[in-house]
This record gives sequence, C-alpha cells and structure tokens, in this order.
Amino acid sequence: MKLFENPIFLTHKRLVHRNGVLAAILIAGLIGFSLLAGLISYLAAPHDFHFSSAQEAGKTFYGWTIGVEILVLVVAGFSRIARSLADDRKAGLWDSNRLTPLKPCDIITGYWLGPALREFYMAAVLAGSGLLIVVIGHLPITLWLGTQILIVSTALFFGLLGILAGMAFQRSQGILIFLGFLFAYPFSFIAPSRMLTNFLLPIYGIGNLFSSRATYDRDWFGLPEIFGIPIYPILVSLGLQLIIGIFVWRALVRKTANPFQPLLLRWEAITLFIIVLVSQHALLWDLWRGQFPKLHGTNTNFDHDALLSVVHGGTILIGILLLAFASPLPERVRVESLRVGFKNLGAIFSRSAVSLALALAAIAGVTLLTQVMFSLADSIQIFAVTTVNLAEIFLVFALLLEFCRLRHKRRALGFVALWLFVLCIIPFILAGVFSSEAIARISLLAPGFVALSDHTDPEWKLQFHTLLAHFGIIVLLFIGWQRQWKKLLQKAA
Amino acid sequence: MSDPLLAIEHLRVDFPEVVAVNDLTLTLDPGDVCGLIGPNGAGKTTTMRAISGLQEFTRGSVRVGGHELAREPDELKKRLGFMPDFCPTYDQLTTSEFLEHFARAFAVPNRAKRIEECLELTWLTDKRDSLCEELSRGMKQRLVLAKTLLPDPQVLLLDEPASGLDPLGRIELRKILLQLHDAGKVVLISSHILSELSGFCNKAAIMERGKLVKFGTIAELGQQMGKRRMSVKWRVEEKNALQILTANAAVKNLEAAELGAAFDFEGKSEALDELLKTLVVQGVRVCEWRGVGDDLEQIFLQSGAKELM
Repeated sequence: MKLFENPIFLTHKRLVHRNGVLAAILIAGLIGFSLLAGLISYLAAPHDFHFSSAQEAGKTFYGWTIGVEILVLVVAGFSRIARSLADDRKAGLWDSNRLTPLKPCDIITGYWLGPALREFYMAAVLAGSGLLIVVIGHLPITLWLGTQILIVSTALFFGLLGILAGMAFQRSQGILIFLGFLFAYPFSFIAPSRMLTNFLLPIYGIGNLFSSRATYDRDWFGLPEIFGIPIYPILVSLGLQLIIGIFVWRALVRKTANPFQPLLLRWEAITLFIIVLVSQHALLWDLWRGQFPKLHGTNTNFDHDALLSVVHGGTILIGILLLAFASPLPERVRVESLRVGFKNLGAIFSRSAVSLALALAAIAGVTLLTQVMFSLADSIQIFAVTTVNLAEIFLVFALLLEFCRLRHKRRALGFVALWLFVLCIIPFILAGVFSSEAIARISLLAPGFVALSDHTDPEWKLQFHTLLAHFGIIVLLFIGWQRQWKKLLQKAA
Repeated sequence: MSDPLLAIEHLRVDFPEVVAVNDLTLTLDPGDVCGLIGPNGAGKTTTMRAISGLQEFTRGSVRVGGHELAREPDELKKRLGFMPDFCPTYDQLTTSEFLEHFARAFAVPNRAKRIEECLELTWLTDKRDSLCEELSRGMKQRLVLAKTLLPDPQVLLLDEPASGLDPLGRIELRKILLQLHDAGKVVLISSHILSELSGFCNKAAIMERGKLVKFGTIAELGQQMGKRRMSVKWRVEEKNALQILTANAAVKNLEAAELGAAFDFEGKSEALDELLKTLVVQGVRVCEWRGVGDDLEQIFLQSGAKELM
C-alpha cells in the first residue's frame, strides 16, 4: 500500500495537523534562523567572536543545529510514536485497526511515520537552515549530507523502537526505559570509536564528520576498525541500524499479525545477540588482538582496562533484555500444552527462557574468547570466571522471571526487580555501610567485573567460591521453577 | 439447505484461572439473528473476541463463509464485523473522518457515498462534522455501529450494542437489525436486556460459565423448555373459545381477558398449530395469535442460568 493511501498514516497526519504544526515549524525556523544569524554576524565582524576561522564558526553553529534536530527527531519522535501507540492500544483502536484487512506492515508503517510528522517538519526546517550554514560557512557539503543521512536513519531506527516500546509497555514504562537508556549511555564515551552504542546512535559517525587532528578531539578522529580493518563510521552505523532494524521490524509485524506470540523468536534472539556481540568485540579486537589483558601497541588514549568491563555490563543488559522479550508467558505455554498435549518438563525446558539463557551465555563466552585466545594460559581464569558468571546471571534472570510469572502473575515484574536488587545491589550497599570490599564481592554481578578489571589481586579462590554459592542459588531457583511448572501442567491436564 | 455462514466448532478459550469458553459449537445460516444470552462472566464477550480473532483460543475452529480463521484470517476480516461493548474512536476526528479511516482500511468502493449511507443509517448525518469527543456515549455507540456496517460484512458480532442507546435509539437499532436479517446477514448479538432481543432474534444461544446450555430457534427452545406463554385475541366475545382452551390438556395457567386470553402451552409446535386450527374451525374470529413478547426472558429464566445473574 502506498503511504498516502495508508489510513493510519493519513489519520495521524490529520491528527497532527489538527493539533497545529505552524507553531512548531516557526520555533524550528527561529532556532535555525538564530544560528544562521550568528554565523552571518561572525562573518561580518570576526573579531567579536573567538572562532579561529569561518569553518570553525560554521561547524559550531551547524553542530547546534543538528543537536536540536536530533533532540526533536530522535528523542521527541520516539516518545511521540511510543505514546501514540500505547494510547491507541488502551483505547481499543489498535485492535480495531488489526481487525481490518490492512496488512501488519501497513499498520506498522502508519504508526512509524504518522504520529511524529510534526517532528519531521521541524527537522526538515532545521536541516534546511543547516544547509545554509554549511554553504555560508564554506564547509564541505558531505558534512551536511553525512550528518543528515545519519540523523534520518537514526530517527527511523528509533521510530521502530518507539513502536516496540508502545507495543510492549505502558506509556509510563516506555519513558522509564528511555530514561534508563540515557543514564547508561555515558559509559559509551570511555572509548568513542570502540563502543557499539556510539554507532547504533551514530554519535561517532557525526563526531567523526566534525573532527580534525587537533588533540582535543582525537578521540573522534579516524576510522573505527572491525577486526583491525578500518571502515567508514557512517557505514558501520547504517549497517547496524539496518540489520537490527530488520529484526525489530520482523518482531513488530509478527506481533501485529498475532499478538499472542512472544516479541522475539528464539532464533531471532540468538542471532541478534551474535550480531551485537560479534560487532562489539570486532570493534575492540585491535586493542588486545586476542592477548587480553596485554595491550597490543601503545597508541591508546583511554582507559582500556575498564573497557571490557563496560562491554561485560552491556552484554548482561542486552542478554537480559533479549531473555525478557523471548521468554514465553506461562499462560501461553499452558494453552499450548492443552492444545498439543505435552505434559513433561522437557518440553517446557525447550520452550522456556532457561535454555535460551544457556545459549546466550555460550555465545557470550565464545565472543569473549576472541579477546583472550592467544593469552589463554594467563587469562584462563579471567575467561572462566567471566563466562560462568554471565551464565549464572542469565540463568538466575530466566529462572526468576518465569518463577515470578508463575507464582506472582501480574505482580511478577515487581518481584523480579526485588530479587535482582537483593542479589545484585544489596551487597554493594552493605559493603559501603560496613566498609568491606569482601561483602561487595558476593554480589551476583561481582565476579565477572572483578575478573575483568582487577588483574593484580583478583583472589581467584574467593571468586570460585562465590560462583559456587551463586550456583547454589540457581539450584534453589531451579527447584522452585520446576515445582511451579509442574503445578501449571497439572492444571492444564 | 445453504451452508452456514458462521460455523463454530468445539471452541475452547482458557484463561489462567478459568475455562472462559468450553466446547462451544454453533452454526448460523444466512439471515439468522442470534441472541447470545448469559449472565455476567458467562463467556459472551470472550466468544465474540475469539470469533473475531482478538482472543486466542485453545481448541476448536471458527469458519466464516467457509474460510477458517486459523488458516485464512485475512479472508475472515473481509467478511466479519465486530462491534465491541466499548467505543474505540479517534476523539480528535470528526465522525465522517473516523468512518473514512475505516472505509480506506476496508478498501470500501464509493467511499463518500457509503459513509453517507452509514451515517444516515445510524442517524448521525447531522453529526457528520462533529468531533468524536463531542459525541455522547449513545452516539459513539452508533458511530461504532456505522463503522462496523461500513464494509457490509456478511457476519456481524455485536457486543451489547444497545447498552448506551436511548429508547428511540433502541427502536432504530431494532430496525437496522431487521434490515440486516432481510439482507441475509448473520448477526450474533449479545445483550443483557432480553426484551430487546426478543423482537428480532430468530435464534438464541444461552451460555453459562463458558458453556452453551441451549441453542436453537426461539420456537425450538420454547419446545425444549416444555412450555410457551401464548397470547390470543378475538374480535367479538367468544364464550366457546375459553371452553376450547380449557379443554386442551396442554393449556395451563389460563388467564382470561376481555377479548382474549393468555396461557402457558406445554406441548409441541404441531399441537399448538392444531389448537389454533380448532379455534378457527369452531368459528372463533382470532385476530392475534402470538408468543408473549419476552420469550427469550422465559427461555433464559427456565434455562437455569439465572442463578448467576
């Protein structure tokens, strides 16, 4: 279906226009005009400003323009789409649209491009004024073209994530997740060219287009390397957004066609995890070239010791998100058991997120291996502790999630948060209260981070004991998990 | 005999703590207007949502015009209209814009004309340019009904369509349903107000705790229940009419009126026809002969489902 025949797009266009677009366009125009006026003022009286050249002034004013553009198109656009979909779901309009012969991809396209139309208009005005700044400031047109391509692709990518958020969460939950993302994001700035998040949200690509060899922005200069091969950052960003966007699109279309399926199929969760982890470790490859913790070369200007720990943290976060998205609802499994007639725990295991947790941990282990494979004799303990710890974290989460869903039903999320808080965060709080580092080390999160960051005195024996204690928790959880599933299957019978 | 337009076989819907619909089987032929009756929680709305594809079911099948929901959901969407018991509308759109949205979605030919027809049918023509948020609940209900009628579906599922309507609206709704009946559509309609359904339903399905306890034509159900309340009127005073009625063993609880009578009839339809014939042959000038208006209420009350009301 053509976009201008898509009823959902047309309706949202109508709603956006009804609520007014002129004021928004004028605001964007005023911002663009102010920045343009700033550049013209500089060109008229250069001594009144402290820019060294017209290019520097042009870059500064254009930088502000695209900053506002990103804020409008990516942040406000994401929130607008997520909110609009969540509201329509609540009002019953989502179901009404699903009952029409519209194809799921038409419904998704309508929500993708319709609700954020005002933001698109504002961005277009800002892009226009940005072009004038680039031309007047004698900046290369590729700067404008490259940044605009990246902004539009990011807006589209985040638009899809907005639909996902609107489909999966309540309005308030979507905002909380976005805030959480903003909180976690600063960790990416440790090594701008090495962190995947800087390419998914194309901060490095844009920064790179603006950068020069000057010392103060060396972090943003040069090409990132995938397994040591230099590659244009814009290509990395577009490639990543495209691949992950395809998976998100598939999930959205499937969920629209049949809302009773989980958001991600198991193979999709596994493939996504592989893509993300392999890309991330490929960006890091050149630092250690498989000899972690021994640095390859000396040309690094950031804290490389912390880098693998940050990646470890990101791996945990992504793994948990994928497990949550791919985990089947117990009620669905029960209905399937009634339909198909299985009653054994083996069938449950193959459907549950527990087996997926093991698969994700194995993938994480293999990707970590690429960093230590040539120094395995020295790093075997680092590798073993980190991988086992990852497996334990994923298993605890998967078991806890399903146990709480089975036991506490609607209140499950609260109980999962509570138990994760007890297992992961409380030890750090107690460590602070009692000024004892040892207490912090019993946290479920601790062994992996300690192994990756503390190479001098990691106390391996204590680490392994901690892992063993965590394994005990998993066994207890597994027993509880098994009992709850048995109860459910008996009910199904 | 034509194929059923709506065929539901062994439908089962499971909720976490309860079997919401249990082994429900019913078929409706073209022109059937079937009242889906039951107390709160009987599974009426769940049944409608399952038929429309909004509710996943554990077992069973739903076919509309020979197309099975599980295999050809898109074909089903073209043939089925579902009006929920609440009114999902885009508040910031006018009523005609709202209908235009769905007319486009259903690829309705001659969109503008059809929208006008549906607005007229639901007495919303003068509200054409009003925003949905300005409409009363009853008007919104009519607008959603107009939306449901827009693609001219073969099967209509109406969940409590009269709940927000004023008396005039209910009368008009009855007219629309009779039109749909005449047009050979299948209408499955749920309502708590049984007297509303009595006038135009030729079939009834009574649900209780997810199960279909009774299903059939109103006459069949009356027979199944063993008795029907009848009303008879004659033009001039007829003493022998009362004697004929009293003499019939199937006639119970006879209540004589000035020019007529009301009674319970505990017998088959054929026997009832025979009684009418006797009256006419004996010279009674019968001018009205009908089942008492609230047949459905009687059927429902006798079905045993009332305990849950």
